[in-house]
Amino acid sequence: MRTLLRGVLRPLRAFRSRPWPAADVPLRATSHGTGLLYPEHIPTTPLQKALLAAGSAGMALYDPYRHDMVAVLGETTGCHTLKVLRDQMRRDPEGAQILQERPRISLSTLDLGKLRSLPEGSLGREYLRFLDVNRVSPDTRAPTRFVDSEELAYVMQRYREVHDMLHTLLGMPTNILGEIVVKWFEAVQTGLPMCILSALFGPIQLSARNLQVLVSKLIPWAVQNARRAPCVLNLYYERRWEQPLKALRQELSITEPPMHVQGPA
Amino acid sequence: MAAPRSWGLWSFCCRGWSRVLPGCRLPGLRSSWPRGPLGARPLSQEKRATETHFRFETVSEEEKRGKVYQVFESVAKKYDMMNDMMSLGIHRIWKDLLLWKMRPFPGTQLLDVAGGTGDIAFRFLNYVQAQHQRKEKRQLRAQQNLSWEEIAKKYQNEEDSLGGSHVMVCDINKEMLKIGKQKARAQGYKAGLAWVLGDAEELPFDDDKFDVYTIAFGIRNVTHIDRALQEAHRVLKPGGRFLCLEFSQVNNPLVSRLYDVYSFQVIPVLGEVIAGDWKSYQYLVESIRQFPSQEEFKEMIEDAGFQKVTYENLTSGIVAIHSGFKL
Repeated sequence: MRTLLRGVLRPLRAFRSRPWPAADVPLRATSHGTGLLYPEHIPTTPLQKALLAAGSAGMALYDPYRHDMVAVLGETTGCHTLKVLRDQMRRDPEGAQILQERPRISLSTLDLGKLRSLPEGSLGREYLRFLDVNRVSPDTRAPTRFVDSEELAYVMQRYREVHDMLHTLLGMPTNILGEIVVKWFEAVQTGLPMCILSALFGPIQLSARNLQVLVSKLIPWAVQNARRAPCVLNLYYERRWEQPLKALRQELSITEPPMHVQGPA
Repeated sequence: MAAPRSWGLWSFCCRGWSRVLPGCRLPGLRSSWPRGPLGARPLSQEKRATETHFRFETVSEEEKRGKVYQVFESVAKKYDMMNDMMSLGIHRIWKDLLLWKMRPFPGTQLLDVAGGTGDIAFRFLNYVQAQHQRKEKRQLRAQQNLSWEEIAKKYQNEEDSLGGSHVMVCDINKEMLKIGKQKARAQGYKAGLAWVLGDAEELPFDDDKFDVYTIAFGIRNVTHIDRALQEAHRVLKPGGRFLCLEFSQVNNPLVSRLYDVYSFQVIPVLGEVIAGDWKSYQYLVESIRQFPSQEEFKEMIEDAGFQKVTYENLTSGIVAIHSGFKL
C-alpha cells in the first residue's frame, strides 16, 4: 500500500518542486548552453507542456502534414511512458547495451554501400529497399526538444529512428494506411499516448473501403503481433543488418501481413 | 523591468562605447564615408567585438544582426497571422492609433522603417486617400455650378488620388519586403508606394527628405538604437516628426504579472504550434524585456537631437508611442 502511494506521490512532488517563474525572472535567464540537458533541449514548464500538448494535438488533426506537431505531442505527453520504456530496456541485455552505446540511425552513420552489398532478404538490404521505394530518408526525424531528461530524450529519438525499421519488419509502406497499421503496432508495444491518439484518430480521414479493410484485417493482425513480440526497442538493429528478415520476423513472432498493402507508385 | 546587470551592459553598449572608441564614430567623419547604393557601409576594422544582447544571451554585435535577420527570415510568411494570434488582433488598433496620432495630410512624405509587411504603409495610404476624397467632396460641393468644359477637364485629368503623398517602406530583410509586396499587389495598392532594402542604422537616403519617420515594432531589433535615431534625425526635414511604436514597460503590477505569464508561457507555444518555430518567438518576448523603459527611450530620442519628445502608453504600457520633432 505504501509503495503504491509513493508511486503516485512521486510525480506530484516533482511537479510541485518545479519552480514557477517569478514575474521579473525570465524563463531562460541562462547564457547559451548552460541549463540545457542536451543540445536541442528547450526547457518548458508544466503549463507550457500542457498548452503544447493541446495545441499540437489540435494542429495535427487540422493539418495532417504537420509531422512536427505529432512529434511535439509525443514528447510532451510521453514522460511517464518513456520512463517505463527505459526501465524495460535496462532490464534486457541488448536494450541496456543500446542505452549505453547510444547508436543513431542517420545517413551519416549508415554505410549505404555496405547495406546495398548485403544479400537479398537480409534486414539491411530490405531496409534500404524500403527507403528507396518509399523515397524517404532516415534524416527527416525531428530531434527531441521538450523531454527533460537526456536519457529519455535518447529513448524518444531511438523510438523515432526505429519507426522505419518497423515499416520494414511489418512490410508496410509509408502511405496513410501503412502508417496507421504501424502506429497500432507501436501503440500496443510502447504505450506512448501519442501513438494511441494517432492510432485512434488517424483513420478518420480514410475512405470507407480502406477503413473496412483496416478494421477487419490489418488492425487485428497488428495488435496480435504487437502483443506477442518482445519490445522492438530492445533490438540492436545496427548489429543485425546481415540477419535474414524472415529469421528476424520469426524471432519476434511476427507473421506475414494478411494482405499486400499497395505502396506509392 | 530588465535585471540591473543586463541594463548596465545595455547602457554601455548603447551610449558608452561610442565615446570609448575615439575617432571611430565622430559625427564629422560620417559624411566622408563612402555610401553604397543601399547603405551597408563596411564595418570599420577598429571596432571591437562589443557585446550586446540577443534575447537573454550575450553575443557579439555582428552575431546579433545575423541572428535577428535569421529570425525574421523564418517568421516572414506567418508574421501577420502570428501577430493576430499573439495580440488577439489588438496590434491592429495600436497601428491605427499610430496613424491617428500622425494625422498625415495629402502631400506627406512618409518613411516607414522596418516596415516589412507594410501594415503602417497601407494604413497611411488609406488615411491620406480618405482625406483627399473628403477634400475633393468639399471642393465639389462648393463649386456646384461647373461649366461643361470644367467637368470634362476634371474627368480627363489623371487625378492623383493621394494628393501627392508618398510612403517609402524600408526594411533590412528581403523576405519581409517580399511578403509586403505580395500583400500590396493582392490588396491593390500601387500608387504612392516604394519598397527599399536598407539598414535603419545607415539609411540609403539623403538628408532632409521626409516629413514623417515611423518605426513600428522594429527599433528593438536594431543593434545600435542610437545610430538609428541619429539616422532618423538626419533624413527628416526640419519640422519633421519622428514616431516610434514599440513594446515598453508595463506600469500596472497586476497587468504586468498577467503579461509576463502570457509572454513567457503562451507565446513560444503559439509560435511552435502555428509557425513551427519556438526559438524565434522566444526571441520576441525576450527582446521586449530587454528594451529600455519609456523614460529611458525618451532620453535616447532627445540625445539624438529631437525636441518636444513625448510618449503615450497604450494598453497599460504594453505598447508606447514615442514622438519627437526635428526643429
